[in-house]
Amino acid sequence: MTATRTRGVVVVGVAGTIALAVLVVAVLGSRGERVPTDASQEQQALAIERQLLCPQCTNKRLDVCELAICNDMKRVIRERLAAGALPDEIIFAFSNTYGPRVLAELPREGFNLALFGWVGGSIVAVGLLGGWFLYRLRRPSRLDDGRASVDGDDAWIDEQLARHERAAGGPEG
Amino acid sequence: MNVLATLGASAVLTAFAASLFAVGASVYGHRAGRPAALLAGRRALLATALLATFAIGTLAYALLVNDFSVAHVASVSSRDMEPQMKWAALYSGQPGSLLFWTWSMSLFMAAFVAVTVPKIPWGGAHAVATCGVVLASFLFALAFLASPFDVSPVTPDDGIGLNPLLVDPGMLVHPPFLLTGLVSTSIPFVLGAAALMAGKVDGAWIRHARSWALLSFLVLGVGNLLGAWWAYTVLGWGGYWGWDPVENSAILPLFPMTAFLHALLVQERRGMLKLWNLVLVLAAFALAVFGTFNVRSGLVASVHSFAQSEVGPYFLVLLGLVIAASVGLLAWRSPILRADADLDSLASRESGLIVNSYILVAITLVVLGGTLFPVFSELFQDVRITVGPPFFNQVVGPLLIALLATLAVGTVLPWRQAATSTLVRRLRGPAVLLLATWVLFAALGMRDPFALATVGLAAVIGFVTLREFAIGARGLRRATGAGWPAATARLFSRDQRRYGGYLVHVGVAVIAVAVVVSTVYQETARVSLAPGESVEAGGYTFTYERLLQRSPGVNGIETEVLAEVTVTRDGRQVGTLEPGRRFFENFPSQPTGIVALDGSLTRDLYLFIQGWDSNEVVELQVFINPLIAWLWIGGAIFVVGGIVAFWPQAQPARVTAEAPEGAQRA
Repeated sequence: MTATRTRGVVVVGVAGTIALAVLVVAVLGSRGERVPTDASQEQQALAIERQLLCPQCTNKRLDVCELAICNDMKRVIRERLAAGALPDEIIFAFSNTYGPRVLAELPREGFNLALFGWVGGSIVAVGLLGGWFLYRLRRPSRLDDGRASVDGDDAWIDEQLARHERAAGGPEG
Repeated sequence: MNVLATLGASAVLTAFAASLFAVGASVYGHRAGRPAALLAGRRALLATALLATFAIGTLAYALLVNDFSVAHVASVSSRDMEPQMKWAALYSGQPGSLLFWTWSMSLFMAAFVAVTVPKIPWGGAHAVATCGVVLASFLFALAFLASPFDVSPVTPDDGIGLNPLLVDPGMLVHPPFLLTGLVSTSIPFVLGAAALMAGKVDGAWIRHARSWALLSFLVLGVGNLLGAWWAYTVLGWGGYWGWDPVENSAILPLFPMTAFLHALLVQERRGMLKLWNLVLVLAAFALAVFGTFNVRSGLVASVHSFAQSEVGPYFLVLLGLVIAASVGLLAWRSPILRADADLDSLASRESGLIVNSYILVAITLVVLGGTLFPVFSELFQDVRITVGPPFFNQVVGPLLIALLATLAVGTVLPWRQAATSTLVRRLRGPAVLLLATWVLFAALGMRDPFALATVGLAAVIGFVTLREFAIGARGLRRATGAGWPAATARLFSRDQRRYGGYLVHVGVAVIAVAVVVSTVYQETARVSLAPGESVEAGGYTFTYERLLQRSPGVNGIETEVLAEVTVTRDGRQVGTLEPGRRFFENFPSQPTGIVALDGSLTRDLYLFIQGWDSNEVVELQVFINPLIAWLWIGGAIFVVGGIVAFWPQAQPARVTAEAPEGAQRA
């Protein structure tokens, strides 16, 4: 491949990125400018609602639940915020009343740590076992020319890539 | 006696007997060396599919003619139900969905018997016997534990109707795709099990499993995408994926199936990963069975699950048997599951594919743990907890980013080994692009690290994919003199799997950007508005005009109450949206939301109302969801890529006249 074509591919890539950027700018630019009368408190209330679940529905966030019990909880959140309570105190109070199932975010404490242990253990186990397996599979190269001895049409495509590499300069790997 | 119920139940029982006959005939034919018995076993499986089709046809007819003496019909249908919704009623409810599952599985297995079994003389009998065992297991549940043909002691005048949440056009396509996708994992499982039983664990089974696994991947992917679309447009919480236990169950088999589709390339090309590939297909099917157990047992609370029933323990036993049989077979054949070749270098395409499959397995384990943890919490602590989106987003997010990174890097790695200089040269461009993207988007105000990482990696995936297409097309142009469009099109006919796979990668990257941006930059507002009042959000003004009421009189809907909302931006009218609530005659305590959407390429305006008072003051919830349209566009690219990869390979066009120097041909 000539340097011109390489540049062409790069230009298209950069153009694609710029297009993506424009899209995100459009998104970020259209973000809300409205400031409610009591912006911080209402935003806090909504944030608290999103951290709680309906005590009666299944996995339904408080902020999108229309049940009477949820409307009461939403009212209580605003009343307590107005009275000076901290968000954590409000969430803790609901957790005490309805149990931990109303917490959208799993507390990292007690028995719940077993789940985080499972997550960490799974990732570490897959990583270690996988790494060990890869290491065991790995042997010094026996290839004569360092080129993939593949068959079928993939070989042709890979050769095109190799030609591209050579055109770009430097030895083939 | 109810004729329809009797016919349907008889068909199920006869299908059960036919599937058992298939098992017996195959085992006998194999052991005694009787081809006639083997043929009889295959035909018995075809007969099972015919009988299952007759059974589901009978139930469909009972639904169409409103035969409410059949308990299932009375529980999911009603006289005012539109004919197309009867299709949704067919597979709603425990027995109906089990019948659909079994029917779909029988069709898959019949197609497998007709298309693939004649090509695998080394394991045809084992495969047919395994199909028979699996089918018989589900037909037993259908015949004796959750029959859709049970007759009510008293025939009601009208049925109860469909569950309100299911009264939606999305239900006509989402469950069939999802159930079919889950069922389709059985064929690679059967092939893997047959290979193990026959002791033929080389590339033969992989060649046949490849197409079935691709089909499964495609249908499961579409099913999950349609599920996300249904949740988005119906559930009314502004999102599309809630990490609900049943949603998780639906997506879990997709991870090992995807890992298999990547890992099988390594076995095909290098003779490695024999054990790993078998583990992946066995795990995918086990997870599909886990999914059906999960949704039918009432084990975990979910908006999608059926009520607790006695089929739950049965499927738990079945799941245990699938796992035990899989582990037993793998242990038995472990001496012949050694790799034929060594890994030449960690810097190779095969290493990338292996790491990719590891990440997918890690995601599977993490999602499975999070899905089951509430059960263990209740079991050991007697405490009901919810493991929701915050947990899954935190733990799966980084793994998905690692997956995107392997997609980006793996695409540029050559097979077997690459010199450091080659690696540097191939990765230099993508690395520069990644950094440039991060700098650019950070400068534009994007601060969330997940969003930055995802956007950067998506750009790199787009770039390396485009480069692969450009290089391949350039080579074809040089060889054939064709123009760029023709050369690009011919790339697909040369190697559908490779280029179809690249399209799938692009689709995944687009979906990832849409998911991350719509999650991180979602805006929401909730206000009480009287008629004539407005609220501003995301630069738009939403003016509530009035409350409307209408009575469709179909599908059990009594009334729909809608809030007419005019949307303007900078004084220009964008449109009128009508979010509302729908009330059902037979489900007075289960009104559902009507989501109103105004979509564009950059954002969705998503409205629904939570209620109103006697003065018609409504509680309006507004979501501004950025880039959601790209979730569906990415999904469409994913599907097109999957179809390209799956489509039967045409005879490769021979380009011999000016074949590039040094190109190796088969």
